[in-house]
This record gives sequence, structure tokens and C-alpha cells, in this order.
Amino acid sequence: MTTTDIIEVLVKIVAVFFILLTGFAYLTLFERRVLAALQSRIGPNRVGPGGFLQPVADGLKLLFKEDIIPAKADKFLYLLAPVAVVVPVLLSAAIVPWGPTIQLFGRSIPLHLADINIGVLFFLGLGSLGVYGIVLAGWSSNNKYALIGGLRASSQMISYELAMGLAALGVVMLSGSLSMVDIVNAQANGRWFIFMQPLGFMIFAITMVAETKRAPFDLPEAEQELVAGFHTEYSGMKFAMFYLAEYIAMIVISAVAATLYLGGWRGPFVEQLPILGPLYLFLKIMVFLFIFVWLRASFPRLRYDRLMTVGWKILLPLALINLVVTAIAVVGADTKFFGLLGG
Amino acid sequence: MPNKAVRDVVERYDDYIEQGDAPEGVWVGPWNNLIKSLDSLNGLYNWGRKSSIWPLGFGLACCAIEMICTGFARFDIARFGAELFRASPRQADVMIVSGTVTKKMVPQIVRLYNQMPEPRYVIAMGACATGGGPFKEGYNVVSGIDKYLPVDVYVPGCPPTPSALLQGLMTLQAKIEGQKLSEVPWYRAGVSEGFPVPVLGPDIFDPRQIPVIDARLSEQEEPTTKAGKPPKAKPAELPAPEVELTKLAAEFLRGTVGADAFRDEGNALIVEPLRLVDVCHSLRNGFGFDYLSNVTSVDYPDRFEVVYHIYSIAKGGAHIYLKVHVDRDDPVIPSLISVYRSADFQEREVYDMMGIRFAGHPNLKRILLWEGFEGFPLRKDWKEAYYEQEQKPFDSRWPEGYHVAAEDRNIWGKNVRYPQGWDPKTWKAPTDGTLVLQPEELSALSDIDTDKIILNIGPQHPSTHGVFHMRVLLDGETVVDLEPVMGYLHRNHEQIGERNAWLMNMPFTDRLDYLTGMGNNFGYAITVEKLMGSKVPERAEYIRVIMAELTRIASHLWAAGFLISDLGAFFTPANYIGEEREMILDLFEMTAGSRMMVNYFRFGGVAYDISDTFIAAATHLVKERLPRAMEELDRYVTANEIVQARTKGIGVLPRDEAINYGAAGPVLRASGVQYDVRKAEPYSIYDRFDFEVPVLYGGDIFDRYWVRMLEAEQSRRIVEQALRDLPGGPILEGAPRWSTRVPAGEAYGRVENPKGELGFYVVSDGGSNPYRYHVRSPSFVNLTTLAEMSKGHKVADVIGILGSLDIVLGEVDR
Ligand code: SF4
Repeated sequence: MTTTDIIEVLVKIVAVFFILLTGFAYLTLFERRVLAALQSRIGPNRVGPGGFLQPVADGLKLLFKEDIIPAKADKFLYLLAPVAVVVPVLLSAAIVPWGPTIQLFGRSIPLHLADINIGVLFFLGLGSLGVYGIVLAGWSSNNKYALIGGLRASSQMISYELAMGLAALGVVMLSGSLSMVDIVNAQANGRWFIFMQPLGFMIFAITMVAETKRAPFDLPEAEQELVAGFHTEYSGMKFAMFYLAEYIAMIVISAVAATLYLGGWRGPFVEQLPILGPLYLFLKIMVFLFIFVWLRASFPRLRYDRLMTVGWKILLPLALINLVVTAIAVVGADTKFFGLLGG
Repeated sequence: MPNKAVRDVVERYDDYIEQGDAPEGVWVGPWNNLIKSLDSLNGLYNWGRKSSIWPLGFGLACCAIEMICTGFARFDIARFGAELFRASPRQADVMIVSGTVTKKMVPQIVRLYNQMPEPRYVIAMGACATGGGPFKEGYNVVSGIDKYLPVDVYVPGCPPTPSALLQGLMTLQAKIEGQKLSEVPWYRAGVSEGFPVPVLGPDIFDPRQIPVIDARLSEQEEPTTKAGKPPKAKPAELPAPEVELTKLAAEFLRGTVGADAFRDEGNALIVEPLRLVDVCHSLRNGFGFDYLSNVTSVDYPDRFEVVYHIYSIAKGGAHIYLKVHVDRDDPVIPSLISVYRSADFQEREVYDMMGIRFAGHPNLKRILLWEGFEGFPLRKDWKEAYYEQEQKPFDSRWPEGYHVAAEDRNIWGKNVRYPQGWDPKTWKAPTDGTLVLQPEELSALSDIDTDKIILNIGPQHPSTHGVFHMRVLLDGETVVDLEPVMGYLHRNHEQIGERNAWLMNMPFTDRLDYLTGMGNNFGYAITVEKLMGSKVPERAEYIRVIMAELTRIASHLWAAGFLISDLGAFFTPANYIGEEREMILDLFEMTAGSRMMVNYFRFGGVAYDISDTFIAAATHLVKERLPRAMEELDRYVTANEIVQARTKGIGVLPRDEAINYGAAGPVLRASGVQYDVRKAEPYSIYDRFDFEVPVLYGGDIFDRYWVRMLEAEQSRRIVEQALRDLPGGPILEGAPRWSTRVPAGEAYGRVENPKGELGFYVVSDGGSNPYRYHVRSPSFVNLTTLAEMSKGHKVADVIGILGSLDIVLGEVDR
């Protein structure tokens, strides 16, 4: 690896970081404005032109807030929890292919940080890791609401991750690779996997809402029941970290969903004008994000036990069926198989 | 003016801001200079803070409703970036003290404030939070939150309109803008130590006051007590259908329990205490009087009297009125819980207020006040701390209109009494039911079963509809047991009601169930009119009905919206419903001059006539707008899968239990009981309108929601008819009067309020103020059912069940 390679990677890391953080900030504003519109209100519009600086103000304020550690909290774990939540989420952004390879300064630069050959697995694994932070937060705060929130989070994650992973496997079978880049490439020419995996996509779409703990699956922080759930005792920047993790997870998971099912950065003319790639991906992500917010504005929350039922008794079997059908289809598409049959 | 100890803290706080130097003893450290050099960042720092003020999501009383409206579509506090009401104090910036601060609630408020991170601000919203408000003279209300916490902005009003609260927010922003990074107190040592939490003893006390209390204890004077003034005339109710019924009941009882068990007093039966249970048993089982509506007590100079009003669900019509004489020196009578479960909370209330003990009550303890409170406040010989006089207007304020706040002259109040041998230093408030679980209790609990925990939901919680508190015993997420704890908004309504002149009580009734001011006015007006024998002019009757039914629509819609929010929908239905409610409030404001606290009814009529604009607007509203809105709600909410899954079959209240528990209003009718006071015992002119009483049979959350929707539709029809038939003529019998003499007697009047049967029980001795004034509140009695309905369900369901009961704390705690 040459120095320029290293510089290239560093620049890309910084860029992704920057994009995600800005994305987080403006996603909060986006959510507040869209929610307001859906509730026939206006939403933040006074801070900066059209409310554009609202996230900046929020950030500034949170930065200067007093940092409280409850006297009876388990200090180490209490401090560790927000970090343990944020890190996996940021890491999982590494595998998203943001666009095709572009030419810049005479170098050809692939627009992704890491093309790991087990990309999908890596993403799912990090998703599971993220829940530790939440359980820790709930446990270490020494608050009953937080504890219940943490417990809910852990069981919810487990039951939904399974279905999510199985749904994603359908795509993996079709593309024959766990690498995100390969998956995008397999969807060239408009052969998006959503057309071949409609059920898988539905399952993935539902589980991704549960995975990010968004309404109507926001049980770990269910305000009406648990005050603020697992982060009840967190203030200032540590509290912001949880939100950071949640919102970035929304962005990343939307990107992953777009990659798995909607052809990633692919779209018309992207071959001729590679820079269109990130733009297409952005638009696809926005569609998902809008749906996230829309759901939040529209649905009451599921009850805890029903949530489990949906996860284990409906989504999981469906995902299995999807998997089997896909497997048969993939094998069936193999002419040799037909050849044997025709034999 | 805050008392001295608090004043010191507050002043120290202010000093920091003014001088920028910490007083001696407070270490500032080398950072100080660095921070000073950062003053160039002030603009940015202040801009950040002022643009992102997140309120703590908690409301205390009526003002909280206006605070919620501030978040809704018409006012939209979100424009300022301040819509993120945080349920956890750790994440909030400003505490909007929205409502009456009671002694029972103050410790929680101070605790919440202590849990907020600096920089934190306090907005005192409304007359109550600012200086005690209308309920200030009572025994359980603190005269302003600034006695305990430093307040940044005061917002006047009762309640302040949402626009006033927005103005308050902008004032706070202006204040923030003027601060300097180098001078703000909160990054310095020694500031973030919490404010001392007041303690509930015989009366409330601040730990900083212990030396003073000690001194006082040694020279404690006897309180200024005068024996209660005997009623001038022997109370006797005016001729009523009750007399007829009482005769029949007496006849029946003579045959079953025997003539020695009671005495017939014309309109009431005076029952021997020891035979009370027999009598009620027989009335319930043999005579069909199965609905104990009201239990309360009166303090006469020679005795206590416990009174019962019993109705028959099947027969409708008037009540049987039982009285039991109780010895003043040893007040014990048998509990009626074994016959009527609705006696549960009401008997506890009688015990709490009057000190009458009910033998056989399984859980007889204070309900509105706290364990350890000294005395029984509704006894005529008990005086509140700043007692001035039996009757208003107090001589100190009238006719000159000038007075000094009593607590400024004497921060204790002459009448605060501490029991013999009481020591503030070792005092620990009894934990029984009213306070957060103590460690001992917890360890005792873990002996039984390690899997169960007690969760305290409330009194500050996003979905307890105010300052309601439930202690829930949980096994996993399943509710094993539940105990409602209330009284955090107990505003000594009844005691103040007995000091007030008759008409003065009218605006106070607005503040009972603050979502249904008109309905409360209605109930009080017809009760007193019973005694006065008023004839209400035709036009006034129609106006009354229009107003009451509009209120019902507003209240039911609001209940539906918030029920859905309780189930976790992010305020979207509530917002849309809020818009419709605003239209109704506009009509009230147009006529009565106020959105919520209408003070609109008068004895013998109403205060102001309605205009043609009103009629046009109201007609448009009920004919065009509301049908569309209700249809929309139905289409988007009722059929929603998750709503159905969360509400159907949850929290079922069977028919017989509903009656026995004294459930009223929609709660009763959702359990298959077709009982509505407007039909069962028509008052005003309800017999002239064509409307139905919807009834559903499931008894679950969904049916309670749905029955409200159906009722709102019927109310809409009634308003439509009333607007159509509205006659001309006067709106008040006789000339407007400020003070009324009410003939001696006693009366129980009731109306079908949106929450259920709202009853007023008044005793007049012919004077200018009521001798006894009691409110039978539907929300309070409906809560009796909560524990039964919740057992075995999940926490999330309990929130929904509570939401479906649609309680308003102003009325629960009174
Ligand atoms: S009485 Fe109610 S409306 Fe008036 S100030 Fe007090 S809380 Fe607010």
C-alpha cells in the first residue's frame, strides 16, 4: 500500500464521517419538519433561515450541558454504554458502497471504504453488537425504567435480527456473494433484487424498523410507558450519542436496504456519469427515511409480547419460506438441474 | 417573597450573574480567567441555548392543558425549536411549572429540578405557580413555586393562553441572550448542589427551617379555634320526587330489615349505624337500588353525618338518600365496601377529610393528603395555616381591596400545629402508599419473590394525564397488582368552597375537570337552583345545553386523541383533534371571554347572551366541520390494525362490576349499561331533544373509545337541534346579582358530564356561603375500577386502560 493509498483511505474515512454526522444533524431537522407537516404544524423555522440552523443550535446547547452521572450508577459501564452504541454503527457504515469507481486526479477511486467479502455478515454482526451498549445503558443507570428498556431492547433485537439475516440471505443467494460491491454489481441493468425478492424485501423493511428501534417498534424507549427507556438517566452529550447512534443507524440501514434491494447507487446513465451514483443512493435513502418518519407519525406502538409474536411466529417462518423458495429457484435456474430432469 | 433560606440561595444565584465573582468560599479556579477570555463566544453560546430550549414534559393542572395546546397546530411551539418535550428531567432545559403546586407535589418538583442538568431554567406558568392562584388560601396549596425554586420567567394568567406561554418563552430567550459565559453561575463549584427537598410532616416543612420549627415547637400556641357555627335552620330539602321514593323505600325496608333500623325523615332515611350494611344489602338486592353514587359527610356541631345517595340503574329517576349519625368523639361506622365497591375511595376520602373511620374497610388510609398530616381539614374546628375568617370576602381585602399576604407576616401560619413530641430532625415521612418505595420495603419484597419489582409510574410521567401516581407490582412486564395514589393536585376545593360565597364557587367549578368547564358550571348551577327554586328562562336553557354539549364533543375528542397517543402514536391524532377543539374553544371565548375557565353560568341563567356570529359559527361547526373531522378520525384511527390489537379485549370491565364499582359515563355505557343522567333523570330541557344513548357491550378499551365517538355524534345532533330551536328572550331570571342568599336546606344535583355523573352536594344554613359543599367527581370514582381492570395485563396496557378511563386530575383530587 502506497502513501497515496493511505491518504486516499483517510480522506474517504473523513468524508464518510462528515457525511454521516451532517446526515445525523439534518435528519433530526428533517424528521421534525416532516412530522410537523404530517401533523399540520410548521416545525422549527426560526433558528437560521427556515430553521436550517436548528440542529447546530441543539448540538451547541447539548455540548454545554452539565454532565450528570447518577450517584448510584455503575460509573464505568454508564460511561461505556454510549460509546458501545455509537462505535458499531459507525463501523457498519464502512461497507456501504456509496457509488461506482470514479476518476479523480488520474486515480480511479472506488467510492466505498471497505469491500469486505463478508460484507453482509459484517453488517449484521455489528448490528448485534450495538445492542450491548443499550443493555449496558439500561443496566448501569440504576433506574427501573431504563432497566426495562434495556431488557426490551435485547429481546427485541434478537428476535428481529434473525428474520433480517434470513431475509438478506435471499439476496446473497441470488448474487452469489456476501460482498456489498458484488451485490450492487449483480443488480446492473435494472435487475433490482426487490423484483425477485418482494417478500424478502418486505421482511427486511419491517425488521429494519425494529432493528433501529423506531416507531412502531420503539419499545426500548417507549415514552408513554417507560419515560425515556434505556436513556432515561442520560443527559447532555451522552444522551446525544444515543440519538446519534439511532439516526446514523437509520441512514446506514437505509443505505444497506437500498444496496440489497434497490440496486444501490445504480440508476440510469450512471455508467456515463459516475458521479450520479451517490446521488441515486441518496435519493433512495431519503425514500426510506421518509417512510421511517411517516411511520412514526402514523402508528401507535405494538405491545411488547405482540412484537415478539410478530418476530418469531410470523416474520421468521416467512423468512424461512422465502429462503427455501429462493434456494429452489436458484438451483432451478441452473440449467444443469433442468438438464438432469429432462435427462 | 420567598422565605429567607430560599431567598439566600436565590440571591447568591443572582449575585453570580450580576457581579461575575463568586462569593468567598466558593472556589472558582484557574479556569475562571480562561472562561472570561471566552466571552467573545457569548453570542454563539447564548444563541445555541436560546434556540434549543427543551421543556420538561410534565404538567400539574389546568395550565398544563394550555401548555399542551401550545405544542399543537395552532400555536406550534416547534417553531422555536422547543417542541421536544422531554419526559426525563435529565434531558430537559426548562421546567414549565404549569399549574397548582400542592404541598404533596412540591417534594417531587424539587427533586425533578435537582435532576435537571445545568443550565436549567424555570418558567412559572399561571397564577398558581406564580403566587398560589385561586386555591392559595387552602391547606394543601403552596403559594408559588418561587418559595422553593428560582424562577426565571413568570407568565401571568389563569390559565395563560398558549400565546402568553410563547411570550414567556421569548422572554426567557431574551434573558438568555443577556448572559455571559464568564458570569453564568452553573459551571462553578458549589452551585450544582441540589436544592433541599421539602418534607411532608404534619404540615410541609423545608429542612432548612428545622431550627425555626424547633423554636416554635417549644412555644406552640393553641390554634385559634372557634367551634363551628351551628347551621341556623335545620336543613330540610325542598319537596322533591325523592320524598315519594323515600316513602316507598321505608315501606319496603320495614318489611325486610325491620322498622327499628332507620327513621324516616321525609326526604331521607336516618339509618342506625349498626344496621347500615343490612339496609343497603336489602336496598340493593330487593329494591333494585344497585348504584351507590355519592358518599360524603357533614360536620354538624353535635354530630357528624355520613350521607349516601343511591340510585337504581334499571328504574332510573331519583335517589334514595341515607344519613348516618356519627358520634363526634368516636367516629366509627361500618364500611359499605361489601355491598357497594364504589364506597372504596369515597370512604377513604371521608376518612381523610373528616376523620370518620370505616370499620371493615380493607385499606383505610389517607387518600388525598399524606400519611402523617395533622388533623382532618373539613372539620369545622380545623383551621388552615393562614386562616383568616369563616367567610369571604375577607375583611382584610374588602372593601379596601388591599391585603398583605399572610405568609409574609408569618411564614408558619398560626394554625400549623405539630403533635406532641414530634421531632423534625428524626422525622421520616411514613412511606405508606404515598411516597417512592423505600429500600426496606424493597428488600422485604425480595424475600417473597425475587422476580417482582415495584414500579412507580407517576406522579411525573408522560401518560398519567397529570400528577397521577400508580404503584405497580410487576412480574416481568405483567402487572400483578396496582395501587392508584392520588392527591398530588388536591387543591382543597371543598374547603375553599365553604369559605366562598355561593356565586364565588362558580369559577372554581371550572377548575374541577378543566376540560369541561361548562359542564361543571351546569352541575353546580342546577344544584343551587334546586334550593333557590329558580326558574331558568327558555333561552338560557337552550344556551346551557348548547354549551354543555359542545363541551362534551371537545372532551370526548380530546380523550380519543390522547388515548391514541397513550398507545404510542406520536400525537398525530391528538393534533388534528386539537384543531377541532380549538374551534369550540373559540366559541367559548367569543361568549364567555375565556377558553377554558368560562365562569359562564349564573343561578337562574347564564352570564352573557350569544351573538349571531356565534350562532352562525356554531352552526357551521356542527353541520359541516365536525362531521368531516369525526369521519376522518374514524377512517384513519378506528380501523387501524395496531389500534385494534392494542384495545380489543384489553381491560374488560364486566357489566355488574361496572355498576358495583360506581363507574359512570362512557365507562359505564361501554360495559353494556344504558344509563345516562340526561335520560334517566332528565334535567334542564334534555327531554325535548331527539338523541340516543349509545351503549356497547365489550367493556374494553376499544368500546370505551368508541362509545365516546358515538356520544360525540349525538351531542352534535343535540347542538344542531338546539341552535335551530333557540328562542329569544331574557337569559337570566331577574337582575344580575353578585351575592345570593340561598334558603336553608340540602340538595344533591347531578349532571351527565363528559366523564360521567358529576354530582354536587350542598348544605345551606341560609347564609351567604355554603355550610357544606361536596363534589362527587366521576373521574375519582371511575378510578376505583383501575386496579381490577389492570391485573394480569402488561404495563403498556395499563397505560391504555388509564387513558380509556379519561381521568382529569383536577377532578380526581379536587
Ligand atoms: S387554577 Fe388552573 S388555570 Fe388557574 S393558574 Fe392555577 S393551574 Fe392555572
